[in-house]
Amino acid sequence: MRLRRMFLVALLATLPAVHGCRKAASTSASHAPLISYDTEADWTDPQKIIPLGYQEAQGKRVFYQYCVWCHADASPAGPSNRSNLTPVPTLLNDGSVLNGRNDEYLQNMITLGGSAMGKSAMMSPYGKTLTPEEIRSVIAFTRAVAQPPYQPPARPGSQYSPK
Amino acid sequence: MSVEEMGKVSDRLLRLLALCTILFLGVLAISPIKDFRREWKQYKRSYVKYAQTRPDTKKLLADYRPDIDQIWIPGMNVVDRCTTCHQGITQASLTGAAVPQPYRAHPPVPHNVRDWGCAICHRGQGAATEVAEAHESTLAWEQPILPTRFIQSSCGTCHYANLSQTPQLTRGRELLAELNCQGCHRLRGIERPAMLGPDLTSVGTKVRREWIYKWLKEPRTIVDKDGNAVVNGYETEEEPRMPKFRLDETQLRALSAYLSVQRAHPVTSHKFDSRVVAAWSKNPELVSQGELRFKQMFCSTCHSLAVTRAGETKLIGGGIGPELTKVGSKVNPDWLAAWLRDPQGYLPHTRMSRYGWPDEDLYKVTQYITTKLTDSDLLANVPQLGAPTDQEIDLGKRLFQEKGCGSCHSIAGLNPQKDFGPDLSALGAKNASELEFGKAAIPHNLVSYIQAKLQDPLSVNPRARMPQYNWNQADLDAITTALLSMKGAPSTSALQNLVVPQKDTSFRPPGSFGEVYERYKCYTCHKFNGFGGDLAPDLTYEGSRAQRQWIVEFLKNPQTLRPTLVLRMPQFNMSDKDAATLADYMSLALQHPDANAASVDTKEFTPARAALGKQLYEVKYQCQACHTIGGTGGYVGPNLNNAGNWLTPAWIEAWLRNPQALVPDTIEPRRQFTDEEIKSLTAYLLTLRAGIKPQKSAAAHSPAPASNSAQGVGR
Repeated sequence: MRLRRMFLVALLATLPAVHGCRKAASTSASHAPLISYDTEADWTDPQKIIPLGYQEAQGKRVFYQYCVWCHADASPAGPSNRSNLTPVPTLLNDGSVLNGRNDEYLQNMITLGGSAMGKSAMMSPYGKTLTPEEIRSVIAFTRAVAQPPYQPPARPGSQYSPK
Repeated sequence: MSVEEMGKVSDRLLRLLALCTILFLGVLAISPIKDFRREWKQYKRSYVKYAQTRPDTKKLLADYRPDIDQIWIPGMNVVDRCTTCHQGITQASLTGAAVPQPYRAHPPVPHNVRDWGCAICHRGQGAATEVAEAHESTLAWEQPILPTRFIQSSCGTCHYANLSQTPQLTRGRELLAELNCQGCHRLRGIERPAMLGPDLTSVGTKVRREWIYKWLKEPRTIVDKDGNAVVNGYETEEEPRMPKFRLDETQLRALSAYLSVQRAHPVTSHKFDSRVVAAWSKNPELVSQGELRFKQMFCSTCHSLAVTRAGETKLIGGGIGPELTKVGSKVNPDWLAAWLRDPQGYLPHTRMSRYGWPDEDLYKVTQYITTKLTDSDLLANVPQLGAPTDQEIDLGKRLFQEKGCGSCHSIAGLNPQKDFGPDLSALGAKNASELEFGKAAIPHNLVSYIQAKLQDPLSVNPRARMPQYNWNQADLDAITTALLSMKGAPSTSALQNLVVPQKDTSFRPPGSFGEVYERYKCYTCHKFNGFGGDLAPDLTYEGSRAQRQWIVEFLKNPQTLRPTLVLRMPQFNMSDKDAATLADYMSLALQHPDANAASVDTKEFTPARAALGKQLYEVKYQCQACHTIGGTGGYVGPNLNNAGNWLTPAWIEAWLRNPQALVPDTIEPRRQFTDEEIKSLTAYLLTLRAGIKPQKSAAAHSPAPASNSAQGVGR
């Protein structure tokens, strides 16, 4: 009789422990709020909505303030300045051109401008207008909207990697 | 008991003792095992395992400690243990979706996560060490983690001033102000303006009872079940400013009766010059000439009209004033003429300018409005209401107060209502248990509550007095974000010190300039010192930028400087005296310290320098990518055809040195010109002079839809 009681006590004592073990770490991803900071409609297919993270969203803001005038086919004021220029500026989402350029090249292009990089002087340098972080965010936005989609290099690119 | 028996017993006892010992040791082990298996310790260990699979293990584990990480900022009530599990939060190499949570790095944000912790922006329970307790609401902690799409609200908790990085929050704050939410609610940072909805003191002289009935029943703007907003039967993107109140037939009759007898200031019918009437009343061109004048005056800058193009009818024009497609069937013609002559006489706080109308123009335009902008079916569904009875008027007056009409509309003699609705200045800090959910089948948290209440006020409280608004998802989220950002007064002095206050923006200049400025309502479209509209260029430093004579000529005969913009500045028929008053004040007072006219020596602008400047403009810097001179060049910046007559030399020099110092948001990048290059470019630009020609083609232009809704429009 006493034996059985002792067993019961022992069992009761182990219960919380068992309970504790049951609460193992659950899958963590399900808790993350999955909705993005901002979105952008795919330029080639407006039905497709591209989610943007914080950095890409900041890039979107900078793009629509400074770059949209020449690197898109429509601007917030209506017509685009793109068709007005020779050589014709690359569309921001043109992955066939920009996917082949690494981040460092694009960073230099925006910071130093076209003439410093052996391209058209019509591309102005933005190094004294935008912060390096803002320029990085524009590049992140470019990568997010690129068509065909951008595949990041396996290792961080450098100036020695093939273009 | 014999010895043998004792031995037997002790044998049994010994076994029992052994069992108890094992059990006891087992029970003793429970606590360490439990401790070992704690959720956060499992994440700690698997982070070490994960780091070992990465090439930069050493760096990832540099500040690894096996115990709880805590960020403690006593002055701000921050106890934040999130980094216990989110260990890679500041490791740059752990960016990207391929890194499993909770180890992924935080995207770069202006505040260092290790200094501030996570809960201060993301909410949730910072002190918790279990996943569920930290992220979800529990009985002990009612503020769950904030969905990422509302995260900008946390920026607004300290940044009362608008930030360029948080467009959604800014949009939400604008919506709160635009829709007059401050009429009924107290909101942080949004003051009650002098006028919210129109003053109704004399509304009976303007519209008939039937029209009021129809308006109250279904305010002009209708939104169908797909969310398409329709004004007077035409699609639009404008937000309806007047919400829909749920009124029954008796209430509609009573309110329309009460309002239709509001005739405090009777209108006197304007006597048109008899020669004008004689010349035009029989003229078949009268209405088309009126329409032409309507277009030439740029009424469409503020008012929209339904326009049919290629079989599609759309509302085209600005959203500052009401849409006018059917206004001829709405207003009393005598009232219309009186209003056009002096809008501020009827509504002292209207945003409409007072134009210097010649009688002929006024006659033509009023005839156009009352014969062309009409719809005989406008009031077809309204029953015959007859003369208002005293009983209806009394009930209407009571309803006017009870329904909260007086929060936005004033009537002389009635006390203005303040704080009709609840104070929302600390709504963002409310716990779920402080909210009334009624029978609504929604999750019990603050975000769901705000969204349900905004979409359908009755869903959470069947007796709600709040009227019905119609939102699209983006606006609903923006306004939710703005409301979540209002968390009341900072609870500690350390938090108080973090607050970035809103700039005090008001610009009410005194004297004769102030009088003209008020008459033309310059601030409806232009900004001065951060005060005013954003439809037209900021004029804070206009006196530094433009030459006085150019300002006078522009005011007398406005024309656009930007190739992509259709001119929207109305023709005010301004007198020479008014134009001179405005130009004098601007040249004296609206000055930027960086553009110092005294430091410019015009003798330096030699022809040789101008020639060099032309080379720099065309070849080295290729300014023609964005600017037009003589019809060729880009569409981005203003045209420079007349730069020599328009801009002051001091402004050009200061601008070339650093455009953002003069206009912070301008899109022209700052270049590294040498002083010599600046002098040469200035000399060249000053040689560009073209006579100001009247904008003849203006009438042929169709009115442009307001582009201020487009994001990031740099001016």
